Parts: sequence; C-alpha cells; structure tokens
Amino acid sequence: MRQQYIWRSKFLISVLGFLAFLVIAQIVRIQNSDEAAIFRQRASWYATEPKTFYPDRGNIYDRNGHLLAGNKTVYEVGVNLNDVKDANAIAMTLSVQLGVDYAETLNNIVNPPIPDLAYLIVTKSASAEDAAALQQLQITMQEQAPAGTSGSLSGLEFTAHPQRDYPEGTLASNIIGFVNRSGRGYFGVEEKYNDLLAGNPVQVLVPTDPNKAEDIPHIPDGTNLVLTINRDLQAAAEKTLDDALSTYGAQGGTIIVMDPRNGEILAMAVTPRMDLNQFWNYDVVYQNASEFNRAISVPYEPGSVVKILTMAAALDSGAVTANTGFLDTGSILVGGSIIKNWNDEAWGQQDMTGCLQHSLNVCMAWISTQMGTQIFYGYMNRFGLGHLTNIDMAGESAGRLKVPGDEDWYPVDLGTNAFGQGVAITPIQLLTAASSIANDGRMVSPHILYSMLRENRQYNVPAQYTGAPISSQTARTLSNMLAISLENEASQALVPGYRMAGKTGTAQIPTPYGYYDSALTNASFIGWGPVDDAQFMIYVWLEKPSTSIWGSETAAPVFSEMAQKTVILLNIPPDSVRQQLVSK
Amino acid sequence: MQNINHFVHAYKIAPWRIQRQWIGNALLVVVGFAMVAALYLYVTARAAIAGREIQDLTASTRASQQASADLQTRFAALTSTSVMEERALALGFEPIQPGMMEYIVVAGYMPPQPVILSNGPQPGLRAPSIPPEYNQSLLDWMDEQIHSPYARGGLQ
Repeated sequence: MRQQYIWRSKFLISVLGFLAFLVIAQIVRIQNSDEAAIFRQRASWYATEPKTFYPDRGNIYDRNGHLLAGNKTVYEVGVNLNDVKDANAIAMTLSVQLGVDYAETLNNIVNPPIPDLAYLIVTKSASAEDAAALQQLQITMQEQAPAGTSGSLSGLEFTAHPQRDYPEGTLASNIIGFVNRSGRGYFGVEEKYNDLLAGNPVQVLVPTDPNKAEDIPHIPDGTNLVLTINRDLQAAAEKTLDDALSTYGAQGGTIIVMDPRNGEILAMAVTPRMDLNQFWNYDVVYQNASEFNRAISVPYEPGSVVKILTMAAALDSGAVTANTGFLDTGSILVGGSIIKNWNDEAWGQQDMTGCLQHSLNVCMAWISTQMGTQIFYGYMNRFGLGHLTNIDMAGESAGRLKVPGDEDWYPVDLGTNAFGQGVAITPIQLLTAASSIANDGRMVSPHILYSMLRENRQYNVPAQYTGAPISSQTARTLSNMLAISLENEASQALVPGYRMAGKTGTAQIPTPYGYYDSALTNASFIGWGPVDDAQFMIYVWLEKPSTSIWGSETAAPVFSEMAQKTVILLNIPPDSVRQQLVSK
Repeated sequence: MQNINHFVHAYKIAPWRIQRQWIGNALLVVVGFAMVAALYLYVTARAAIAGREIQDLTASTRASQQASADLQTRFAALTSTSVMEERALALGFEPIQPGMMEYIVVAGYMPPQPVILSNGPQPGLRAPSIPPEYNQSLLDWMDEQIHSPYARGGLQ
C-alpha cells in the first residue's frame, strides 16, 4: 500500500514537472519568437518620447553691462470652458485684474467664437503678479465653495512661458529690434543675430518610465551680446533729437555717434521709436520697414556734407592743394548745364578752405572737373558710396551712386554729385566714408556688436578697416581745413573748449516730378573731434525743418549740443587740459 | 575510543541528519535568491529615487533660472535710464554742464573699459553618465544578454 503511494507521488511529480517544463519552454519560445521581436520593437517606440528643449534667448547688454533685452516669465491666462461654473464671476475678475473688457469676455465664455471651443485664451502675456493674484483668488473661492463643489472661478487656467522683455522701453529700439511671440527676431540686432541669440534647440528621447534615471541634456543658452552703444549716450542722443525736432519743427531725424578709431557705434538715435514691449504696435508706428531705422535704411540726398569727400579726393589725387585759388564767378558750366551757388551769388577769390567755409557749389563742381570722372568716381567708390557698409543690423540700404555708363548718368552729374546732389546715401554710409578723414586715412567698418558671451567665454569683436581711400596727410590737412572753416564762420556747431572739424549740408528734396522742392530741405551736419585726436564722430540729419531750411541754423547747433554731451559722458577733457596732461 | 568512533559513525549515517543537510542546502539556495532579490530591489529603488531627484533638481534649476531672469529684468527696469533720471532729479541733482566740469590728474587712473561679463572659463555643470548597471532591470539585463551579438554568435 505504501509502495502504491510512492508511485502515485512520483507519477504526479513527473506530470507536474513536465507541465512546468512545458510552461517554461513556452515562455522561452514566446520570448524569442519573431512575434516577440515585433512586439519589442513596438514597445521601444513607446518607451521614449522625443522632447525638444529650447534654450533661453541670449540677453543684450550695452557696453557698460546694462541690460537692454532680457527674458521674463509671463502667463497665458485662459478659460477651460468645460469647467466653467460662474462665467460672470470669471469675466468680472479678469476685467478687474487684467483690464480686459468685461462684456466681451463674458460673451466669449457664454457664446464661444468658435463652435465646440474647449479652451478660450484671454491673454498670453499676463504678468507674474497678476497671475499670482488670480491664482490666489481662485484658491480662496475654491475654499469658500461648499464641500464637493467647484469654486466660482473654476475653469481659469494659467500656463507660464518666457517672453522677451526690454527694460528700457523705447530706448535704442531702432538698434535692438524685437522678438515676436513665435520667438523670431525682427529688425536690428534681434534679427541680425537671431540664430546666435536663439541658440540651438536640443531634441532628446525621454524615457516614459519615470523610474529610469537619465542624463540631463546639456542645452547651452543663447549667446549673450554686448553692444558698442553707451546707454547714457544713447539716451542723451534721443533726448537731443527729440528736442531738436520740437525746436526746429522737423518731421524726422537721426543722430549717430561713432568712434572713428574702431567703428564702434556709441549711439544711434532716430525717430520715430517704438516701445519694444508692445511690438504689436509696429504697424501703428511705422508706415514701412525702412522707417524702423532711418540711419541705415533710408538713403537721401545729403547735400553739402558730401563736399568733404570731394575735397578729400581732390587733395589726395593732387588736383588741388589747400592753398589752391579759385575765382568764384557765381556759376559754372558742367555737361551743358549751369551750376550756381546756394545763394546764386559770386564769392570772388577763394582758397579751398574758403570753398568749404562758404559751401560753394561752383567751386566743388570745378574741383570735380579738375579730377575728371575716372578719378572722382574712383574715390567715391573707395569711400563706399553706393555700397553697403555691412553694419551688423538688419535692413541696411546701399543707396545709389550713379556712375558713367549708367543709363541715367549725365555729364552734369559729375558737377552736382560733387556737392551732394543726385546721389542717395544713408547717414551711416557718409559717416563711414568720413571716418577715413577723422582716422588718419583709414576707413573703419561700422559695427554695433562689441562682444559675444557664450558658455561663460567672452569673445570681443576686433575693429575692422575697409581700406584707406586717402593718405594720412590728406586726412590731417582736410580735418584742419574743416576746423578752420568752422572757426572762421563762427559756426553754431562749435563746442567751447574743443576744436572740432565738420561740415553742414542743406539739400533740397527731389519730388516725384523730377524737380526739387524749394521749400523743403534735408538739413545735415557731420563733424568730429577733438581734431588732434578724434574720439567721436557725430552725424545729424533733420528732415524738413520748418523754422529754417538751412543746416547751419538747425543741424549745426544740434551737433554742438550733442558734442557737448558726448565729451561729458565719454570723459574727454577740453583741449587745454589734454595738452597740459600731455606736456606733463 | 571505540565508543567515540561508533558514535561518530552512527551520527554520520543517521537519516535525520541527511534530511537536515538537504533542508539546509535548500534554505541556503532560498536565502541566496532572497539576498539577490533584496539587493536588486534595493538598487532599483535607489535608482528610482535618484531618477526622481534628478527630475526634481532639473525642475528646480529651471525654476531658479527663470526666477533669476525675472529678477534681472526687473532690476534692469528699476535702474533704467528714465527711472534713474527721475530719481536723480527728485533728489535734487541736475544734469552737469560742460562749464561745471573740473578735470584733475589722478595718478594711475584708468578710464572705464567696456564690461567683461565672463568670469573665466568654468566647466559646465553636467551630470556624469550613469552606467546601465544602475538603471537596468534584471529582466533588461537578461534580455540584453540573450539578444546581444555575442550570445547569438553573431560576432566571431
């Protein structure tokens, strides 16, 4: 009997063991079957999910480290329409806290603008303070609601996201540009260096299993940019320009301050300007894109300020010297057309300094004919007229310089171009060309970027030179002539204590009908100083001043005012003090 | 002496002793498996906690960066040109005019230079690579071993 149990036990163990073996064998078979491989592959698709990490957009600073463009957290406030309990309470609360229209908000919640709309966006840029206040109110209402029911503000939802912020508002708006809601830069530095500022988004596969530890993806932030501008000087330039527009009744204006030694733009003020924190008002402020930064985008006939380039070419080519005499009879025939002076009068015997001092069109036209087309336009080409300066801001215009061979060039253009008529150039072009005179013959490349900061390393942008169109001797001679002409004329551009070189320009504005409007002018002034060691150049352009049409009475005093502020803010002592320091 | 030998022999061939040896060996195997399982559970739990902590730290770092950026822009707004000018005027200061400037010679004075925002090269903060031994489950490991090229004989 006992033996029977033993056999039964052994039989049962064998059967169960065999069944267990079959189960294990089946498990192993299934695990290693082709179908299992397919399932494993499918599982791997869901084991991770791709996630894109966007780096923070780089900041923009002025040369002294003041923040001009940064990032801040704002909140999208919306209403989940399926969770709304009290539409009236939500509309009233949002109206009080965010300033939105109560009736419109209530109507949108009760009657969604799109059928079956589940989520209504109220605002995309609520401040952190407003969002916190709303959230606190929502919590309070929820606590006061009867147990098991929703509060009267249920349905309100908040989503944080970064937004570009411009702490200085309108300051240097033309230089900085703006970033729209999709994160793309428009105009100025924001557009020119958009790729650098935005950085490189990184896409990584994140495990869906939350218990799996993962490497933190290293996402370098966007590059921080340090600009060459001086915030205080920029503010001073904008105030000076705004005051000038008011004083002289001008319709628009530009002031640029540049270091002629290295091409650094220290200030660039234009009108109009916009609050970059309200970039959606762009269409309200500007009629077209070129108005965003007239200093680089709007070419115009500058008039007599071009005479300094003509004189530089003539001195450098040897066509004239500073002492060359010229008998001004009041008119000259060039290319079959008669050219007259600005006041239609004859100025008699003059030397070249007198020609500049009295801004004689006849003298300049004569000088250009002495050089001839090849030499004159060769110099203008080397000065960069008609070419981009490649300043590192978006939207630069190349202007236009007609040259022999062009369909619309006529022989008289040689004479008129010499005193700034028939040529369209931007303020930055003329400033760049004139930098060769202020900088001992070397022409600088204007730029706005001082350095880049990436991965805690700062890369400074070296100064670049775009050639030497004239000799250093010519540059010094012409600077001295321009300084003398200002002093002899007792110009309103003079700066007490500092010897300055400069030239006015008054240009009539061509009409679409082919003739010049005698009542409307562009008033300009270009100057630099101190003459013996030029540390800044200033360009002033006032559009259609109404109190006086003359640059000498409008742009020149603006230059003087701006220069006085510049020497203070840049710590440039008067000439006498500097000479004392040098003598010690 | 003979009695002792006899006692030892009797002890060695006693059936209950053989049974205890079997039971002991079986328990040893069970304890061994339990220790491996406990170790595996401990490592898995530690890895999970570490993973959670990494996620928390990442979120915390991100929040700190955002807070820092917010404070930086807020500070910039509070010290913007227009605000500072208003405060200066309210305090009785007035813009300086050229004639009011007085220059004095200061030995060793260096004019202000443009800002240097970099504080020197520093290694970026980055979590070290975590070897698979610390986040791989036992089943993952077995699966890897079974399907590795070596196990399949795919590589010679």
